[in-house]
Amino acid sequence: MNTFVTETVSILTNAAMLFVVAAGLTLVFGALRLINMAHGSIFMVGALAVASLASGLTGGWGFAVALLAAVGLCAALGAGIEVSILRRLHDREPLAQLLATFALVLVIADLAQRVWGTSDRTVATPVAGRFTVGGAVVPEYDLVVVGIAALVALGLWLLLTRTATGWRVRAAVEDPETLAVGGTNLPLLRTGVFALGAGLAGLAGAAIAPLESVGPGLDTQIIVAAFIVTVVGGLGSVAGAALGAVVIATVEGLGTLWVPSYASSAGYLVMILVLAVRPWGLFGTPDR
Amino acid sequence: MTVLEEKIPPATERTTPARPVRRIIPLIALAAVLALLAAAPYLVTVTTILSLEQVAAFAVFAVAANLLIGQAGLVSFGQGVFFGLGAYTVTLGWEHAGLSFWEGFALAPVLGAAAAALIGLVALRARTLYFALITLAFSQLFYQLVEQNTGFTGGANGVFAPVVPAWMLSPVDGYLTLLAIAVAALAVLRWLYKSNFGLLLRASRENRARVQALGTNVYRLYLLAFTVSGAFCSLAGAMFVVYNQGSNAELFDWTTSGQAVLMSVIGGMYTFAGPVVGAFVYQFGHDWLVRFVSDWQLVLGGVLLLVVLLRPDGLAGALRLSSLRNRTRGRR
Repeated sequence: MNTFVTETVSILTNAAMLFVVAAGLTLVFGALRLINMAHGSIFMVGALAVASLASGLTGGWGFAVALLAAVGLCAALGAGIEVSILRRLHDREPLAQLLATFALVLVIADLAQRVWGTSDRTVATPVAGRFTVGGAVVPEYDLVVVGIAALVALGLWLLLTRTATGWRVRAAVEDPETLAVGGTNLPLLRTGVFALGAGLAGLAGAAIAPLESVGPGLDTQIIVAAFIVTVVGGLGSVAGAALGAVVIATVEGLGTLWVPSYASSAGYLVMILVLAVRPWGLFGTPDR
Repeated sequence: MTVLEEKIPPATERTTPARPVRRIIPLIALAAVLALLAAAPYLVTVTTILSLEQVAAFAVFAVAANLLIGQAGLVSFGQGVFFGLGAYTVTLGWEHAGLSFWEGFALAPVLGAAAAALIGLVALRARTLYFALITLAFSQLFYQLVEQNTGFTGGANGVFAPVVPAWMLSPVDGYLTLLAIAVAALAVLRWLYKSNFGLLLRASRENRARVQALGTNVYRLYLLAFTVSGAFCSLAGAMFVVYNQGSNAELFDWTTSGQAVLMSVIGGMYTFAGPVVGAFVYQFGHDWLVRFVSDWQLVLGGVLLLVVLLRPDGLAGALRLSSLRNRTRGRR
């Protein structure tokens, strides 16, 4: 019983973080039709920013301030990248944008090493409490992480389905010309969506910082995980990202339990299987 | 491809056959470059020779990867799978099956082709960006499998063994052997590039639906291209063992696959020779820069960004090496 609870909580926490990272990636793809390979790099910047801020800002509220600052920094970074680079490539083939963001992975990795050094950092858990469920000890911070993911999911759902901005974001792919004629500032909309995606990457990075050691290499590690989740769920679909996150977290969680040495390969196998059957992912559309 | 389309001259100009003189100049240039490379042991230091050994392997790797990236328009972030497979075929064949270096070397492209055919069967069901991601996933899957199976593959430490024949251990002999292999491999790839197969690949990059409508099974065409590319990437991996004296798990990593993409794009992915230029620039740019700064990746990323923003046809395009469009036109 208590192994079951411990495993469920660990899988849920993992799924929650994967969802927040993947949601940002899939949102950007949905509105801009580009895959941001630097998404993981922005995630790393978020984690590193919290790691340096949290040493001064301690306790639950201090951490919350550090987290918000990191999200703001990452959103600003995203907006800067979109305006200075990606906007110029918008009318080019998808390859150009993919390569540009790949270039950013290299650039940000070295810049981050300049700023934060090469050693791994740890962040003290801001909420240290624990409680017992069914004989298993559950850290309260895990619930905070799951709560953040639930808020992000709710927020994105409200934004995309209940607001005029969300309607425009969806229309920006379907029919950009008509939307522009209707008075929508498309470049601003795209910058906004990209900044939101980057902010989500930063949020995930900041929230995961107390759970893992933070340092170089985090960028490539997380971007591959985010790719798997979004591709399994279907690029462009936020619901798909949620489903993909749960599927991948479950597979990896059970894999760690049953076949520890192959747990890290399990996610890739699921992705390859899904794509072999549905090349556009579970919730994606087959138009590409 | 709007950028390139603007460069097509009017139809009248197109029908003029190229003058014989203009055909001879590239041949002379090629002969001069080859002569220089063959004479390199008398001209440069041992350090440079070792760099040239890497360039020989990387050039084959990049041109083979570019068969997919630039020619077919299939951006694969998974060619490291075959590069790693080639290197490990040589080292593990020696360790577990008692194969000599040359037996492993001959087996590498065969295994590379077989693996590519199987992976391509699945990966090519996905299009454009999905294809880039699924190939990246294969790269990471192989990386994880090799790293985890410590008993068979040596795990993260890799396999470093006296597998390379003793006479090839001298940098000059090793280099000259690799140069000969690279020239032979590139000649075959060049022939493929000029063949109908190469033409069809470029045509489907421009307009897949039309090539399909004209009666070519594009999926099979791509599968063939993926298999050929896998075979040559694997050969390049086997070549790399001569320089590296072994194989390590990072060869499978997606950053290795990314290197092939970088060399192709920086060198110029719309030409045959572009990736070769890219391999030279990548290696010697690296060797030169790391003497002054530690941020090699920063410079590399910056250069890639500039190429993507300003010169999508890469250095080869900037140097006005024969462009893809000219080639296609010549065959009409």
